[in-house]
Amino acid sequence: MAASSALEALPSGLVWRADRLARGTTPGEPTGFAALDHELPGGGWPREGIVELLATTPGIGEIELLLPLLARTGVDRLVVWVAPPRLPYAPALAHSGIPLERMPVVVAQDAAAAIWATRQALASGACHAVLAWIERIDMAALRRLQLAAEDSATPLFLYRPPQAARQPSPAVLRLALAGDRAGLHVDILKRRGPPATEPLTLPLSRSVGDPAHAVDRPAPARAVRAGVHARHG
Amino acid sequence: MQVFTRATAEAAPCAVFDDARRPCVIAADTRARALGVHSGEALMAAHAIAPDVVFRARDTALEVATLDELAAACARFTPSLALAPPDTILLEVSASLRLFGGREALLQALADTLTGLGLIMRSGLAPTPLAAHWFALAATTAPVGPGWQDALDALPLEVLGIGTDVSAATLELLAELGLQRLAQVRRLPREGLARRQARAVLDALARARGEVPDPRRWHEPPARFASTLALPVATANTEPLLFAVSRLVAGLIAWLAARHAGIDRFTLELVHEDHSVTSFVIISGEPLRENSRLMLLTRERLSALTLPAPVDTLRLIADAPVLRPGRTPDLFGDPARNHENAVLLLDRLRARLGPQAVRRIAPWPDHRPERASRMLPVDAPAGDESTTCAPRPAWLLERPRPIGAAEGLEFVAGPERIESGWWDGADLQRDYFVVRAPDAALWWVFRDHSDDGWYLHGHFG
Repeated sequence: MAASSALEALPSGLVWRADRLARGTTPGEPTGFAALDHELPGGGWPREGIVELLATTPGIGEIELLLPLLARTGVDRLVVWVAPPRLPYAPALAHSGIPLERMPVVVAQDAAAAIWATRQALASGACHAVLAWIERIDMAALRRLQLAAEDSATPLFLYRPPQAARQPSPAVLRLALAGDRAGLHVDILKRRGPPATEPLTLPLSRSVGDPAHAVDRPAPARAVRAGVHARHG
Repeated sequence: MQVFTRATAEAAPCAVFDDARRPCVIAADTRARALGVHSGEALMAAHAIAPDVVFRARDTALEVATLDELAAACARFTPSLALAPPDTILLEVSASLRLFGGREALLQALADTLTGLGLIMRSGLAPTPLAAHWFALAATTAPVGPGWQDALDALPLEVLGIGTDVSAATLELLAELGLQRLAQVRRLPREGLARRQARAVLDALARARGEVPDPRRWHEPPARFASTLALPVATANTEPLLFAVSRLVAGLIAWLAARHAGIDRFTLELVHEDHSVTSFVIISGEPLRENSRLMLLTRERLSALTLPAPVDTLRLIADAPVLRPGRTPDLFGDPARNHENAVLLLDRLRARLGPQAVRRIAPWPDHRPERASRMLPVDAPAGDESTTCAPRPAWLLERPRPIGAAEGLEFVAGPERIESGWWDGADLQRDYFVVRAPDAALWWVFRDHSDDGWYLHGHFG
């Protein structure tokens, strides 16, 4: 107890205790989710390096997790989306306050092109963040992306299938994402500092309207055609 | 000769022959001469002596085009320049000497420009255009100050035939008189010369010495840059092609520099041996004049290309220069650097992957979900991007996927009826719901009134 209080008396940053997260030199970028900030070194998303997001299925909130970060994109900064598996839908993203004119979407023919484009985006130093969907990527390519991300101090959010958790990775942060009735289920697989003990559930606003209006009735009756106009086909 | 060799760094020995009935060699480079090929020789004989030499037919059109390109490149040194075909350009530089730091510095800058184009310069400097032309042939320069005309006297007789009306017969006559230098010509009795139809000689001498005016028609730089380069050997490899392109780009940059402009798109045409043409447009996000960036875009574009056949000739066409004011460097870093990095990144991605692969999305005011989001060119300006406040998913499926019945789904929100588009034939009547799938993902589904089926249309990412 005495030793502990002596440690407390020391200026912060001088001694790091193994059971604490290093909250040192580079504060992170707030995620917009207090529970997640609390668990991440630096109190937020790392400002450089790979963040792997291992998502089970689309629609669980894997984009909403990043919306607070993306909405803070500065003037003259880009957020590059490399090889998204589906079409990002402009009305939803614009509604979240993301500057779409600074959000280029890159379509890549194959994984090699996607990796090339990701690396160019990282190396340019012009990006607030880079989002990439690359299913198959080997260790050497991951390491090159990690180096490019560190050199230009750009975070790369790399979406991968959950099976990738078995593969080692140079990423600074790895999160496994899963859907949950209460929000987004986040399991921190790897972070700088002691391993995380238990998974979190982040409450998502899910911007789908008031749950009070949720329906538990069958679908409405079939619309009767009014015959105002001629229908095609 | 140089019009053929400029496209490559290491040429084979080369010689050019004319298109007479019995073709003769009219020029040979040093290595060809070392192999025994000399100008004046019959082509057949030269072939027999040195089979390794590449023989090319003289291409007058290409020579004219190259001279035009050279004139465009020289236009940054002075606006007053005149062409003296087939191989000479006269620049009036008296007003430019101070800007470029004197005679030596100007000549050096000129030589550097020409080296970039892959041409070798021989220059002469004199107060009158004809004298400068003659001095260039002799590779000497007139002394500065009064009495410079005396330096003309040392020039050989043959220069009289260059850039003047003096006929070959007259030159022959003078040579038969035993004259070798201009000094001797000048000492001949004037009346005698005039009587022997050699008035042109007197006239040329007077013009060279500045005793009579010598007006020239100034060359007008073309509003459009088009340059053609023939490769010495047809190739499908990127590296030699890039080297040749760098020659063209050097000309483009000089042309742009003369107009204080940049270029944001240009066309590169690759002519194959069978005269088919591969043509592509290189686009950049902002007007460029930097060699490194223009070459980088071209390199990305060329390396992404598979050529159907070896390339014989390259053509670069640019016709929309954009005025670009000069920029003064900032003491505390460049505030525009971020913007420049972003533009460079987009240029690079587009050059390699194609403009269709790099775009941005933008909302569009239409109630039909498929039409409410559009793909735009990545540098399209931000328009009116107001949006609906009804729930919309972050991912949209390109075409709705039938999901059978709505069983096992938990309704979270809805219905939202979307009924629109009867006026353009893409009519739809749907009830949209937000549902929770068994794995807790949120889906955007609808029931189509036309067939009563349920469809998945998006995921709430």
